[in-house]
Amino acid sequence: MNFMTEAMAQAAFWIVVGLTLAGAVIAVFPRNIVYNVLGLVLALTGVAGLYVFLGSMFIGLMQLLIYVGAICVAIVFAIMLSRPLHLEVPQRKLPKVLLAAMASCLFAIALIGVSLRTAWKPAAERGTDWSVATIGELLLTRYDLVFEVISLVLLVAILGAIVTAGFSRRLTS
Amino acid sequence: MNTLSTYLIIAALLFGLGLLGVLQRRNLIGMLISIELMLNGANINFMAFNRFLAPEPAVGQIITLFVMGLAAAEAAIGLSIILALFRKFRSINVERAQQMRG
Amino acid sequence: MSWLFKDPVLLAAVLCTWLPFLSMAVILIFTRHKPQLSSYISIGAVSTSLICALYLLIKLVHVGEPVEYRTAWLIADDIIIPFGYLFDPLSLLMLLIVAVISFLVQVYSLGYMAGDPGFSRYYAFQSLFAWAMMDMVIAPGMLQLYIFWELVGLASYLLIGFYYEKWSAGQAGKKAFVMTRLGDIGFFLGLILLVLGFGDLGIVAMNEAAQAQAIPSYLITASALLIFCGVIGKSAQFPLLTWLPDAMEGPTPVSALLHSATMVAAGVYMFSRIFPFFAASPTAMAIALAIGTITMLLSSTMAMATYDIKQVWAYSTVSQLGFMVMGLAAGGYFAGVFHLTTHAGFKALLFLCSGVFIHEYHSNDMRDIGKGGGRSLKIPMVCMTVGALALSGVFPFSGFFSKEAIMGVLAAYPNKIWLLAGLLGALMTAYYSFRLIFMILFPKKVDATMPHDAVHYHQEKDDKIQIDHEEAAAGHGAAHGHGSSHGHEEGHGNVFWYMAWPLIILTTITLVLGFFQHSLEGFLLGHAADAHGGEGGHGAGHYALLIAAVSMGLAGIAWAYYEFGRKGASQEGFLARLPKTQALFANRWYIDRFLRRFLDRAIYGGLTNVFTRNDRRVIDGGIDGFCLFTIGSGRLFSFLQSGMLQYNLLVMVAAVGLVVLYFVV
Repeated sequence: MNFMTEAMAQAAFWIVVGLTLAGAVIAVFPRNIVYNVLGLVLALTGVAGLYVFLGSMFIGLMQLLIYVGAICVAIVFAIMLSRPLHLEVPQRKLPKVLLAAMASCLFAIALIGVSLRTAWKPAAERGTDWSVATIGELLLTRYDLVFEVISLVLLVAILGAIVTAGFSRRLTS
Repeated sequence: MNTLSTYLIIAALLFGLGLLGVLQRRNLIGMLISIELMLNGANINFMAFNRFLAPEPAVGQIITLFVMGLAAAEAAIGLSIILALFRKFRSINVERAQQMRG
Repeated sequence: MSWLFKDPVLLAAVLCTWLPFLSMAVILIFTRHKPQLSSYISIGAVSTSLICALYLLIKLVHVGEPVEYRTAWLIADDIIIPFGYLFDPLSLLMLLIVAVISFLVQVYSLGYMAGDPGFSRYYAFQSLFAWAMMDMVIAPGMLQLYIFWELVGLASYLLIGFYYEKWSAGQAGKKAFVMTRLGDIGFFLGLILLVLGFGDLGIVAMNEAAQAQAIPSYLITASALLIFCGVIGKSAQFPLLTWLPDAMEGPTPVSALLHSATMVAAGVYMFSRIFPFFAASPTAMAIALAIGTITMLLSSTMAMATYDIKQVWAYSTVSQLGFMVMGLAAGGYFAGVFHLTTHAGFKALLFLCSGVFIHEYHSNDMRDIGKGGGRSLKIPMVCMTVGALALSGVFPFSGFFSKEAIMGVLAAYPNKIWLLAGLLGALMTAYYSFRLIFMILFPKKVDATMPHDAVHYHQEKDDKIQIDHEEAAAGHGAAHGHGSSHGHEEGHGNVFWYMAWPLIILTTITLVLGFFQHSLEGFLLGHAADAHGGEGGHGAGHYALLIAAVSMGLAGIAWAYYEFGRKGASQEGFLARLPKTQALFANRWYIDRFLRRFLDRAIYGGLTNVFTRNDRRVIDGGIDGFCLFTIGSGRLFSFLQSGMLQYNLLVMVAAVGLVVLYFVV
């Protein structure tokens, strides 16, 4: 029984990993932008699953909420507003793709190499407090400055987005 | 399966795919999508370290939350820039946006 | 600063020489828009200088040795260049002259320049002039002398070109500056030669070494000749004499200052300053004598042909300077300096008097002034006559004594030709001076019914003279300039007395100064008489000479009276019957034209071509090449800056990846 749940969990994990990577591939390769967004949704959902595997249901939910719920929707809006579907799809240039593939492979290999060759040492004493209450408390005590700054950044980003989009409209019309 | 390096490799692959997208997509929205992928790769790293190494399990989650917040801000700004560019060039192809070339 | 107050002499010296500078700075910086205040500041400064100069003279008159305050200014190994003050009889005398003339001219200018838009500027430049000249006079070393010498040149450039909106004034200023600079090149080369060969530029050291024959004679000759080039430029000697007549483009008081105590006197002063040094080289002295003689004769002839009163005095200045140089070069240290002193007085007087006429009649032409009733201005007329008498060397005016002294020196010279030239010069000087006086005093009666014909007549005559275009323009421009810049001011009487008092004072000086000849001689030579004892002229032939010289002067006056003064005189002069000669004189013996040709051929045609080619090919070419290289490499690198964001990023990522791989894997 224990073995069964273990195997199921194992299978579920690899399925989630597969979904994530497949979503990433879909998000990157097809030239139709709508497929890309859908791939991104898939990949982000997979990542949310990974977070659950990593022991944090809260962050997984947040991932779904923020990424899938907000960012992807915003991207869809941008697609609708900029109407890329009506424009000609740019032709892919093979040398560019090859070069990009080589560079990113190089970088991925370097990253994997670093992570494999480093001897990671866990901390001597490890707490077990995964509760959302602790996260909230820490956010408003130890990390309150960062919290405030992030809030400010979000505010500025919203205003900046409005201004950037709005001004350009006025300028071009 | 539940080892640190598995997650790190998955994160690296995600990051690499995102990088590939950033480097070869001509569509600006495509690039933005790829950037989100890269951010997620980094986030997986944080969460993995948090799960396997960190002394306080809350800290990594908080940082991940921050990254998400920043990603939201970045998406908002990026999309508005894309819209502005689209209005100016009637295109969201980065290779057309070359006014600064030497 | 306490060292300053411990020694009253030093304090007086510093006050004397630096107050005008201070006043210039204050005027230029603060009071430029308050002309009245500016003039008071400037006059206050110069009168303080005058008091200090008097104090210094009284305090130091009996000091045997020259008093010297000096600091080592530039020290280069064993060459030490001093900066400071040197007080000996010569510098004290000259300091006083400069202070007196500057003071009088500045007071006079209160009247002459009243209402001029550049009133403050004028006083600032006057202060600059006084400062530069005084500091030059008391310089203990040749380099300090040279620096202030150039500042004097600058000040005179600024003042000659004072009416800078007038084209000819600007030209005249430039001409004065450039021509004197030409001589100064030689001066400076001479100084360099001296530093290299002798290693000390202290005036006392130079003079003593030259007397003790501690300097090789070839070095003395070479450097003395080069330094004499400076005198040629500054004191308007033979090849470079034409700038001075043009310098009358400036306001008349400036001419008075320039021609008497400052600019042109600087050259002669420098000559007498290092007189023992010059005296050690017979060759240099002989050349100087010849140049002085040529200058004197040439400019006297030029003065006979002009109708511009300022120009007459300008030519006479040139000729008197030539006369001073003759005196000095013939070995008459005292004679030259004495003539410099007296000349400063009566030439300032003459110019200031002409200034009154010009101010009154808005014309520089002596015929216009005469017809306009110049004789009715009593004070200037009398003063001008006194000045002219002094200039002609008539007893008992100061010019008589100093000319006599120079004649004496020339008579003692073995070759009598110089004496003859001197006498001839005296004759011509008297002639042209009184030609002017008589033309103003006894204007030819103009027929009232036919005034236009008279004008035509003069114009025709002008045309006949064929004056160079440049000079014609200069003359007319001057007349117009004065006409436009001063209307008849309010408060005429006040203005008149501002201008009259300096005249009266100068006249008094002219009358009295001659009788101080012997005390001055004792003062100047008291300590140096034994060094050059051959101060001849008081020998057997003295009285004969005296009579000859005076009779020459009187003959000149009589000649002028015959042609211009007596009733029914034609007022044309003998020159009108010799048109070729007159054209020659009026065009200044074509010196200007010759210099212009020389400039065009040798400088613009030859030298400049070479430099132009060098400029175009080598320098411009080099810079162009460098620019092309920069542009090319910029093009090359701009290929990388393709605007292709992704390629940039790609290269960056690949590089980072490679680095990471290299270090980790």
